[in-house]
Amino acid sequence: MLKLYVGNRNYSSWSMRPGVLVRQAQIPCEEVLIRFDSFAAQSQFKTSLKDKNPVGKVPVLEDSGLWVWDTLAIAEYLAELFPEKQLWPQDRAARARARSVCAEMHSGFTALRSHCPMNIEAQLPHIGALVLRDQAGVRADLSRLCQMWSELLQTHGGPLLFGEFTIADAYFAPVVMRMRTYALPLPADVQAYADRVWALPGVQSWVKDGLAEQDFLDFEEPYRLQR
Amino acid sequence: MLKLYVGKRSTSSWSMRPSVLVRQANIPCEEIEVLRDSKDAQSLQYSVLKDSPRPGTIPALQDGDVWVWDTLAIAEYLAELFPEKNLWPQDRRTRAHARSCCSELHGGFAALRQFSNIPMNSDASMAGAGDIVLQTQAGVRDEIQRLCQLWSELLQAHGGPMLFGAFTIADAHIAPVILRMYNYGVPMPADVQAYAARVLKLPGIQSWIKDASTGEDIANVDE
Repeated sequence: MLKLYVGNRNYSSWSMRPGVLVRQAQIPCEEVLIRFDSFAAQSQFKTSLKDKNPVGKVPVLEDSGLWVWDTLAIAEYLAELFPEKQLWPQDRAARARARSVCAEMHSGFTALRSHCPMNIEAQLPHIGALVLRDQAGVRADLSRLCQMWSELLQTHGGPLLFGEFTIADAYFAPVVMRMRTYALPLPADVQAYADRVWALPGVQSWVKDGLAEQDFLDFEEPYRLQR
Repeated sequence: MLKLYVGKRSTSSWSMRPSVLVRQANIPCEEIEVLRDSKDAQSLQYSVLKDSPRPGTIPALQDGDVWVWDTLAIAEYLAELFPEKNLWPQDRRTRAHARSCCSELHGGFAALRQFSNIPMNSDASMAGAGDIVLQTQAGVRDEIQRLCQLWSELLQAHGGPMLFGAFTIADAHIAPVILRMYNYGVPMPADVQAYAARVLKLPGIQSWIKDASTGEDIANVDE
């Protein structure tokens, strides 16, 4: 049985990607929560991960003694293990495009990631408005996302980025969470896509578990004093 | 014919990865160096790459009307196009491990990326600078330590000469890091040092370094 180690579901955007992927694709996998307490070397979070994963980070996938870390590598491994699930688009050109946008997400969109950290349970529309007003980097990231999604939806005819659900949608699901929390304004076609991602059973099941955590970690909360 | 658009060779570590991959694996590919004049939509870089769905982004691979960008996606695309080249390790579990290493380097190592902003300057000898960086920057030191430990384990597990036995995408992916560590005289454990020396002797790396050190003026803005 595969085991996926994840961090707090409310906060951990990197954990959410493979979490949504296995849930939505119904891949048999046990999900193990390793609660964030702090990221210091002696923290319970780091020590309980230490034997499992030399990087000391989540998410990590275990397959009988094999440790696969980092979201892109986990996604590729699952795509190889379950070819019948068609986690990547079947067409080679579309698959290359899907990998390109995932890789872009993996190393890019830093302004959006730092100014609008994922916090599924929080409603922070006023913060979103201030961030959009003051941060040109966030405006640029948002406009690039809208352009990318709009083009892909048009090319493949929806409902998701490459037609049916693929790794790319799982990869952008945390961005959809941020758009909701910070009430970022979106063009109609992009908003409709974001709403469809939100409604995916795999996303809803992750959100439900995230809301049930009821945990408040101050180092993940630049904008709230309490829950 | 595939076309690979790369940035200025002496400084662009992201461009070096796919280029070393195609050179070392002898993949037929035309390489076009695009010097970044600015990030504006009117810039030369933008105009050369205007047909890409991600205009101005380098490195980018063009295969007819298929555009692939970002080093990892380019590597995966090439691995699919040329299965006989064995660009990834053949064993599935080993392949997963190789992808983990590449993916971690792609998204992580924030401190090392600052270090990576230091130009590769494959033509400049900066031995000694590495000691200073290691002494003054704890983040870089920790990350280099982590990398050396990882490489050491892989060399032991697969018996060398490269990280996963024969040359794979993983070696191409860390090549710029190795080149910088070497140029800046960063101290490495003996087995890693020997591996670094082997990497730098690879024909694909030698040919990149040669192209990087000829013809172009040093861009003051990057020094």
